[in-house]
Amino acid sequence: MIGFGNPGRRDDGLGPAAVERLSARSIPGVVCESDYQLGIEDALACARHDIVVFIDAARDLPTPFTFTEVRAAGAIPPMTHALTPEAVLAIAAELYDRRPDARLLAIRGHIWDIGEGLTAKAEKNLALALEFLEGFLKEPAP
Amino acid sequence: MARKITIEPVTRVEGHGKVTIHLDDAGKVKQSRFHVVEFRGFERFVQGRPYWEAPVLVQRLCGICPVSHHLAAAKAMDVIVGVGPDKLTPTAEKMRRLMHYGQMFQSHALHFFHLASPDFLLGMDSDPALRNVIGLVALNKDLAVQAVLMRKFGQEVILATAGKKIHGTGAVPGGINKNLSPEERDQFLKGAPPLTIDQMIEWSLAAIELFKDYHSKNKDVVDGFAAFPSNHLSLVRKDGALDFYHGVLRAVDAEGRKILDDVDYKNYLDYIGEEVRSWSYMKFPYIKSLGKSAGWYRVGPLARLNTCDYIPSPLAQKAFEFYKAYTDGKPNNMSLHTHWARLIELLHSAEVIKELLLDKDLQGTKLVKKGKKVLEGVGLVEAPRGTLFHHYRINDDDQIAMANLIVSTTNNNEPMNRAVHWVAEKILSGKPEITEGMLNRVEVAIRAYDPCLSCATHALGRMPLEVVLRDSRGNILARKVR
Repeated sequence: MIGFGNPGRRDDGLGPAAVERLSARSIPGVVCESDYQLGIEDALACARHDIVVFIDAARDLPTPFTFTEVRAAGAIPPMTHALTPEAVLAIAAELYDRRPDARLLAIRGHIWDIGEGLTAKAEKNLALALEFLEGFLKEPAP
Repeated sequence: MARKITIEPVTRVEGHGKVTIHLDDAGKVKQSRFHVVEFRGFERFVQGRPYWEAPVLVQRLCGICPVSHHLAAAKAMDVIVGVGPDKLTPTAEKMRRLMHYGQMFQSHALHFFHLASPDFLLGMDSDPALRNVIGLVALNKDLAVQAVLMRKFGQEVILATAGKKIHGTGAVPGGINKNLSPEERDQFLKGAPPLTIDQMIEWSLAAIELFKDYHSKNKDVVDGFAAFPSNHLSLVRKDGALDFYHGVLRAVDAEGRKILDDVDYKNYLDYIGEEVRSWSYMKFPYIKSLGKSAGWYRVGPLARLNTCDYIPSPLAQKAFEFYKAYTDGKPNNMSLHTHWARLIELLHSAEVIKELLLDKDLQGTKLVKKGKKVLEGVGLVEAPRGTLFHHYRINDDDQIAMANLIVSTTNNNEPMNRAVHWVAEKILSGKPEITEGMLNRVEVAIRAYDPCLSCATHALGRMPLEVVLRDSRGNILARKVR
């Protein structure tokens, strides 16, 4: 589980908040990491695991959360210090020849101003997303 | 027809940068600007918060250099709790230094290998789809793997000293909240290869040789690209040595004459002013004694190696002597030499990390000191991108009443604008067609400063590069997004 986002930007902190709560549940076989944004070193983490779930806040989702498959980017977009999940997977594939089963859990956020704490709406979305994720983690591996 | 070229946002830098270049009817450059189009207001955010929260709160400024903000705020709070910037316990100061040099190491490694080297190793005109780490893998996979591991090593040093990646709590007002256990120390000294400090030093040396080799074959580009004279400012140690964590302010002009020397940074407002211009949210700092038009300066690796007298670690000092000899000991004003300077600092950081790891003070147990509280404090560090100023005043209820931050990238505002203008004048002006490679050179000029404009807010798919050509009426003539 790799949650990313800035908790100092209200609901942008949904990713780290999700990982913090998952981590507290100590689920066997699940490794939790969080950071402000994805970087090249996350490619190494991806290469070392069979299944990777990226968790990020999202704007303008029609539902509280979405859970979608993520594939390595065919072409890497222009780089910044921060990478997209697709770019991280592409680097993992190129550098380590590893292509984990990867998903993106996008959780709908509502407020992005400077400030701390999730909004009440985001908290509800997070609870629904984590409930779904726990079900996913109980599924047998394909 | 008069045209306006807009590059928004600038790629491989942080935040929302935008470049506009106005061409007249003959295609000559009329005006060029590097704007910042997002206002942060972070200083207001911390007002009213208890002062001891500042070192944690300010990390949310940016996902790229949270450690710099953490330490600059902690140094300011050291003053407020009456301990002062240079009276920490040896364990506290050395733990902070380890954290800081770990950050410097990972940041410099990421910047050179991941963000800058594709322009050098693959070429500024190469296919933009491959001018990135994937292209680097195809060219030199070992180098790309090294880049990941160097970044990882630095991140692990930060983790061991700050406690965690997000909301690190290592530095507290008056000290530090943990020491380094022997197990943590040994992980870096003799852990599983290749993640050991000796390997990091070896790779850093190799990176300098890589740059020197490129330089020897491409002197015209490396020496001439966006070169212009400027003043340079940084902290230096009292004896003139390079120091990223603490020291006094020194500024030199393009010829090496000292403008400021041995200045106690708590008095920075007596020496540094900030000009506001209507077209950008980012201010333009200047040295007051020289005035707004002549007092602008550069900060960061190039500036630091121009202001310091020597580097206090043997391998980096040797590399520094070779570097200084190239300009006959004079200040280096060549923008792309910033990368060379950055790699020398990368090596120095690795050497300092090793020196600190071998120091038993890191296992000490005296972590925090207390003194007589005062209501105002200033903290400075040399962040990867340059001098970072944090200044706070608190009220009698221990709440932050005023905060003023001058971040490294703000210090480099005028130099980045000059660099963009250089490219506009020398590369774009009067050309019948503007190619992608030409526009990339605008970004190469900005990237040398490794600017960091963001508050780390991000959402998927929000960082495209958009280039728009407009006529004098604002009509779009052409638009490219990549």
